[in-house]
Amino acid sequence: MIGWPYRAPRLFGAFVLTAVLASAGPPAWAAAPADLELRPPNLKPAPKSVEAGMWDDSDRAEAHTRIAAELDTDPALQAYVRGVFCKIAADYCGEARVYVLDRPFLNATCFPNGYVEVWSGLLLRAQTEGQLAYVVGHEVSHFARNHSLSKWNHDKTTRDVATVLTVGVQAGAMFGMVKVAQSGAPNSRQMIDDISDMAQNLNDLIYLGAMAHIMAYSREHENEADRLGFQRAVAAGYEKSTGPDMWTGTIAESRASDFAAVRKADVRASIYRTHPLDQDRIDALKAQGGVVAAPDIDARKRYRAAIRGHLGSWLKDDLRRRDDGQTLFLIDRLSEVGEDFGVLQFYRGEAYRQRRHDGDAPLALAAYKTAVGYPDAPVAAWRELGEALRRAGDKPAAAEAFETYLAKAPDAEDRWLVEASLKTVKGA
Amino acid sequence: MAGCTTTKVKSAAPAMIVQAAPDSKGLLIQPDVQLSLVTASGMHAVRADWSQAAQANLAAAIANDLKGRSHPFEVMDPAASMEGRTGQLLRLNEVVGQSIFIFEYGKPKLPTKKKKFDWTLGEGTQVLRAQTGADYALFVTCRGTYATAGRKLFSFGAMFLLMDVPLGQQKVQASLVDLRTGRLVWFNVATAGSGTDIRTPDGARDLTHSLLKGLPF
Amino acid sequence: MKTISTASAFVLLALSLIGCGGGTLDGVSPGPMAMGDKHHLTLTRRWADVSPILPQRSKKVRVLSVDGPWLNRVYVARGLQPGEGMLKRQDKEHPVPSFHADMAPTELVEFATDSVSAMGYMRVETSKLRPARFGAADGLRFDLAAKTESGLEVQGTAQMAVAGKKLYVILYLAPAEHYYAATLPDVEEMMRSAS
Repeated sequence: MIGWPYRAPRLFGAFVLTAVLASAGPPAWAAAPADLELRPPNLKPAPKSVEAGMWDDSDRAEAHTRIAAELDTDPALQAYVRGVFCKIAADYCGEARVYVLDRPFLNATCFPNGYVEVWSGLLLRAQTEGQLAYVVGHEVSHFARNHSLSKWNHDKTTRDVATVLTVGVQAGAMFGMVKVAQSGAPNSRQMIDDISDMAQNLNDLIYLGAMAHIMAYSREHENEADRLGFQRAVAAGYEKSTGPDMWTGTIAESRASDFAAVRKADVRASIYRTHPLDQDRIDALKAQGGVVAAPDIDARKRYRAAIRGHLGSWLKDDLRRRDDGQTLFLIDRLSEVGEDFGVLQFYRGEAYRQRRHDGDAPLALAAYKTAVGYPDAPVAAWRELGEALRRAGDKPAAAEAFETYLAKAPDAEDRWLVEASLKTVKGA
Repeated sequence: MAGCTTTKVKSAAPAMIVQAAPDSKGLLIQPDVQLSLVTASGMHAVRADWSQAAQANLAAAIANDLKGRSHPFEVMDPAASMEGRTGQLLRLNEVVGQSIFIFEYGKPKLPTKKKKFDWTLGEGTQVLRAQTGADYALFVTCRGTYATAGRKLFSFGAMFLLMDVPLGQQKVQASLVDLRTGRLVWFNVATAGSGTDIRTPDGARDLTHSLLKGLPF
Repeated sequence: MKTISTASAFVLLALSLIGCGGGTLDGVSPGPMAMGDKHHLTLTRRWADVSPILPQRSKKVRVLSVDGPWLNRVYVARGLQPGEGMLKRQDKEHPVPSFHADMAPTELVEFATDSVSAMGYMRVETSKLRPARFGAADGLRFDLAAKTESGLEVQGTAQMAVAGKKLYVILYLAPAEHYYAATLPDVEEMMRSAS
């Protein structure tokens, strides 16, 4: 799991989840970790092993995703993302099942059983296919090096060496959570908070359960995954700036938050509870030959073409996080490609409209005005332009905008509302 | 906490359980089983091998029990049926089951449900009836924990999952749904005592016997 | 199949606090029910007040149910003031959808759908937007469709009105399979009678 530059909204008080840990005996498939020993393809765990338990939880998470509401069902997008996975992880391509989930956070995960999730928040934030590939390669490297398992084998939170730890899909793991917090695992309390926040937002306890296997990567593991992910990306022919650019962008997004606590927090703590993101990691990637470079505009355009159809709905989802400063940052960056201004300016307007800070109303108005000048503007842009003009007191312009909306959307469900607004600005 | 929950049969008309007609057909939905190891420190570890063994044992024990009742029945794998209306009914059944646990077996009671056991999946169950020819469906869910030997354990009480499962017990819930009306005509929860282990065929048989004793089918 | 909603899990926590042999939730009898200030609506049947087991809702919101909130729930927001929402804000970094006095009608609908999303429902959509009366004030009615995380389809209907600069909401959600239709007539009467 990569993490995300903001916390998912907390709907309930701190919730309960699981803790990880210790198992007796060596892992069923790995020998003592050699430096580049990679998991063989099509591995199956030994029955009754810790790994089998992890697989079972991962299987449940996958079964759940297959029927979940957030599964993105666009076959073209699924095929594209799967294609990127297979480019970066040809060795595991055959056994992997890749799913795109409509979740507005930067995340991708490879579960121990070959079930792979890529979240729409990652697809929105990657600027090029190479950046997407790098992140997937980073996750594949955790998978290839059995990091989740070795974490289990090396942590000890209890004197009882015979106990194994897993994911609490049950509510009764509150005490387990306390134990994790006391365990000394890095940032463990924040880790649990992050999982529980996200899961509460997503209302997904099953997922929580399986995710906890993955969350507790150590700093060393993150560094290794960065290194190996970078190697995979370069070997697959992607540009050398993928890793550094991805993380630099993520830090910048964090700094753009509307919330002081998010901006000021140690970037390490706010983004990567369990895998700190800081200049060290970016420097390590540079030492490997990575470069920080403005991503190639052609590469950005090519990638944009692959995700264009989803841009609007992903931005709409991002607004639900309610950190409009960050959404605006993303829109600014997306705008650098020089395309899709109708959609991008519309959502810029939506972000200002939602945020309602002093001075936001004229900024929303300006954005909607710009949006409607482009052919790809959603028809709602005309309605919102009308409302913004009405608020600003420009009745004739508002009337014109409303009339345009009604002409363009004769079957709009909110037709009668817009007609009522039109009446008020016409003074009728 | 654990002692607050009693094991009780709940049925639609407690005084008069209407026995299913001899030729009515049943639909057994494969049991949903999850067994965990609980450690001294209170952590739960779901054990895939235990869950699978228990699932197989329970499925076999239930099927045998039903065979002994001379009703024809067929078996459905819920995992393969999550599309369409059937999928909605299966999901709804899960929510109804959760609600029954909380409000019939748990602490806060619903003032709107004081008098009788009145729960339904709705008329949509006729789709299942049309599909399978069954008149009744039997849904079974099992949750259980096994404690590590010789350890002092915390009690989690009502905080454990949906089923108030005291540590070291396995609890099975069964509901019988009349597919003509969608009503839950019978509901039972049975708790395995310390001598019963549903990971073994004998244990599963014993628990199934307690569970389905009063089943009006 | 093994979905356990966070709401359920939280209830279990709440249950453990209520204690053994703990009580019954309050019933609400048929007849008039206050909606804040001088407003009220009429109930045509007995409901359970399940507000205590949904702590996420804000204090001005009362939640009624017949079969428990996962099978039917009616939110009654009793005069939200500007800045207030249907859900409780947990901390500074996590705002919840809130009402503002200058909201356009489409923004009010958005407030409702955002709130439903924030409650944990997915893919929330509205349809059949139409006018409604709330006493002397103009209001809105619309229907909703959503899914729970596990894919159970949920339907809903809502009535919203701003009166005296406060927002009044009646919002009903229930699984599409059987439950929505079963209690809809009682909810329609609540909405019709609200003033």
